[in-house]
Amino acid sequence: MSNQVEDTRASVWLGSARNVMRLVAIGFSIATLAIGAWLIVANITGGTQVGMNQLLRPEGNVLVKLLLGCFLGAILCFAFYLSDTVNPIEVQPTGPFDVFSVICGRVAMMATAAIVIVMSYEVVSRYVFERPTLWANELSLWIAGFVFLLAGLYAMQQRSHIRIYIIYDMFPRWMQKLADCISVFLIWVFAFALVWGGFNEAKAKFLRMETFGTAWDPPLPGTIKPAILLIICLVALQALSNLIADWNKAPEHHSPADDIDEDDIAKIRKTLGDIDNG
Amino acid sequence: MVDIGTLSLIILLGMFALLAIGMPLGFASAFLAVTTLVLKFGFEPVFADFGRGKLNVMGQAVYRQLTNYVLISVPLFIFMASLLERTGIAKDMYDSLNVWLSRARGGIAVVTSIMAVIMAAMSGIIGGEVVLLGLIALPQMLKLGYNQNLAIGTICASGSLGTMIPPSIVLIFYGLVTETSIKALFTAAFLPGFVLATFFITYIIIRTRLHPEDAPLPDPVPGEPSSSAKRLLFLAFLSCLALITGIVLMLRALFFTVTGQNAIREGVDPIGLGMVSDLPYLAGSIIAMLVLMFFVFGRARTRQGWNMGKGLVAPIIVIGVVLGSIYGGITGITEAAGMGVVAVFTISLIRGEMTYGVIWDSLTRTLKSTGTIIWVTFGAAALAASYTLAGGPSYIANLIVGADLPTMGIIMVMMFIFLIMGMFMDWVGIVLLIMPVFLPIVRTLPLEEIGFIGQLAPNHVAIWFGVTFCMNMQVSFLSPPFGPAAFYLKSVAPAHISLTDIFKGFLPFIGIQLLALSVLLIWPSIIEVFL
Repeated sequence: MSNQVEDTRASVWLGSARNVMRLVAIGFSIATLAIGAWLIVANITGGTQVGMNQLLRPEGNVLVKLLLGCFLGAILCFAFYLSDTVNPIEVQPTGPFDVFSVICGRVAMMATAAIVIVMSYEVVSRYVFERPTLWANELSLWIAGFVFLLAGLYAMQQRSHIRIYIIYDMFPRWMQKLADCISVFLIWVFAFALVWGGFNEAKAKFLRMETFGTAWDPPLPGTIKPAILLIICLVALQALSNLIADWNKAPEHHSPADDIDEDDIAKIRKTLGDIDNG
Repeated sequence: MVDIGTLSLIILLGMFALLAIGMPLGFASAFLAVTTLVLKFGFEPVFADFGRGKLNVMGQAVYRQLTNYVLISVPLFIFMASLLERTGIAKDMYDSLNVWLSRARGGIAVVTSIMAVIMAAMSGIIGGEVVLLGLIALPQMLKLGYNQNLAIGTICASGSLGTMIPPSIVLIFYGLVTETSIKALFTAAFLPGFVLATFFITYIIIRTRLHPEDAPLPDPVPGEPSSSAKRLLFLAFLSCLALITGIVLMLRALFFTVTGQNAIREGVDPIGLGMVSDLPYLAGSIIAMLVLMFFVFGRARTRQGWNMGKGLVAPIIVIGVVLGSIYGGITGITEAAGMGVVAVFTISLIRGEMTYGVIWDSLTRTLKSTGTIIWVTFGAAALAASYTLAGGPSYIANLIVGADLPTMGIIMVMMFIFLIMGMFMDWVGIVLLIMPVFLPIVRTLPLEEIGFIGQLAPNHVAIWFGVTFCMNMQVSFLSPPFGPAAFYLKSVAPAHISLTDIFKGFLPFIGIQLLALSVLLIWPSIIEVFL
């Protein structure tokens, strides 16, 4: 895909900074790769012993910290850059909070691909080289936890959470608005109750970065427990943002056909080529 | 505070009310989880001090779901199916199947069903399959003058098999909710799924024999081989496949031998077809296939057969990778899904169809569907945890057992509830909200009264019920007014075909699904054949 094609698509929020963001993201990736390659060479020649353990717990190893920093920077900048263009199958973001949710969604999309890569690495090293890793399963679990949470935020922004519209569609518009208000209020009640019940546990686990108790020992409870509370609150905020954004829309009618995207089907059609000659 | 009977009624009515006002299912369940706790333990005690208390069971339930390794297979299977949709694998497979059966009465309809079964064995979700079959097979059948109802019904009913034949996302969720072995569920579902597909094909063949005008034959293509020649060509193609399989297994066994992985060790199970002693047999079969190809069928015929059938190779590889990983004992469900993604990606890359855009579109759709499905799981998990804490499940079980219904009567009532709910609700909601209540009841039923032929082993009851549920959901994909398969087909069908036409085409196929369901109910031990 060439630069020109990218740039003709409307910018959501970055405007002319889009290409800068792209360059920064590529810069971070190159830095990550360079440091990674350096560490691998150093490992092979015996200079250092940096494995997944050190990556999780750098303990003053500057190079490893730099590597992690660059990696994080690359992911964030790519997420910023990618959130600037909207896929035709997506709902257009309408406000600052929507953009934030889309950025989170972009991180989760990249993370999904990362899970596949981590898993393939594990399968190959286990079955071809007979050297199973200690970290791959836990890493997939850790990434997936965040993917699941962020996916909910993204699905909320995309208004794709499962709802039943049979009766809702029969309401006049003012009743639909009332129903939406009640829904959002009840989501807030749930978020409030969840935080009320889980705050101490999440705080305690976060403060001591409680680990999973396994060989590689990632801080799964220490990070995911607080993330649950945080992201539920974000989802509640997104629900409110949706309510405001959709307030003046005309009454909509829904059918299961809403899940199917014309653009998607056009693309599948294109892949299949000229079918009528088959 | 409130007794459990009243509480259950409030939750049930609350669920109806909240769904009616269009509240998202996951959040409605989550809010009802809070309601349950407040009603059971009182507002004061639950909200006594900030940061802790009974409300934390909800957070813990969500956390348990989040750290469940098997749940990762869900986005991976969706990712794989999205990638698969954007490759030409399906189109090539259709062409390859069609050359063998184009001269048979009802051939395209049968090809559509067979293709659906193969695709079902590759992926575990529906939607994509119906769209693909609708785009590939529907224009062909309509052009030939097939009966429209037959064409529509065949595509949608066969296209829904995705969740009946393993891998199946419905069974994965059932396994997660009920803590049943997913591998066992897959094995058990294989035969019923196959039976259902066979019923479809039998129906197509009988119907087109009785009414030949429903399925006109295409005009013969000049130079096309006769049916007996095709049979030989097909055998030649099969020998090619067998040769490739033999070579792959041979290389695998040699690899194990070189690395010493297959050395005979005390207490280690021998690797199937991977031991040193298997090498002569593998070599023998490779030679036998070569002899067949070169001397029995002849090189020209083998090449022609291969060219006619090679579209089937890619799907077979994908199935081999996914199901082979699960059943070959190489990996669990989650890694098998991951390997499926890698396999589809690689094949598509080799075919020159993989672009950055395809990956990104697929990831976007994957994330959307994942968020939608997983968050229902969170809400349902929170509700189930609160309701269990309040003593709900045992109350319901006592209620049903105390109702003094005959065993099959209880099962029939459950099937009826599944079918009705399936008309209005997504399968995710049903499996997550209803299963925790229904399965404990089924477990308490007397074994000898389940079914009429044969008897289930005690540890197979949950598996049988899961497969039965899966069959129910097959009906729900087709049942009006919201059968998703209809809407998927509508989106790709010519404009003159209305939704009513589509649902009309479903009727005989819904009948067949109910017939297959009754086979499961009458002869429950059908699921034990491969277990």
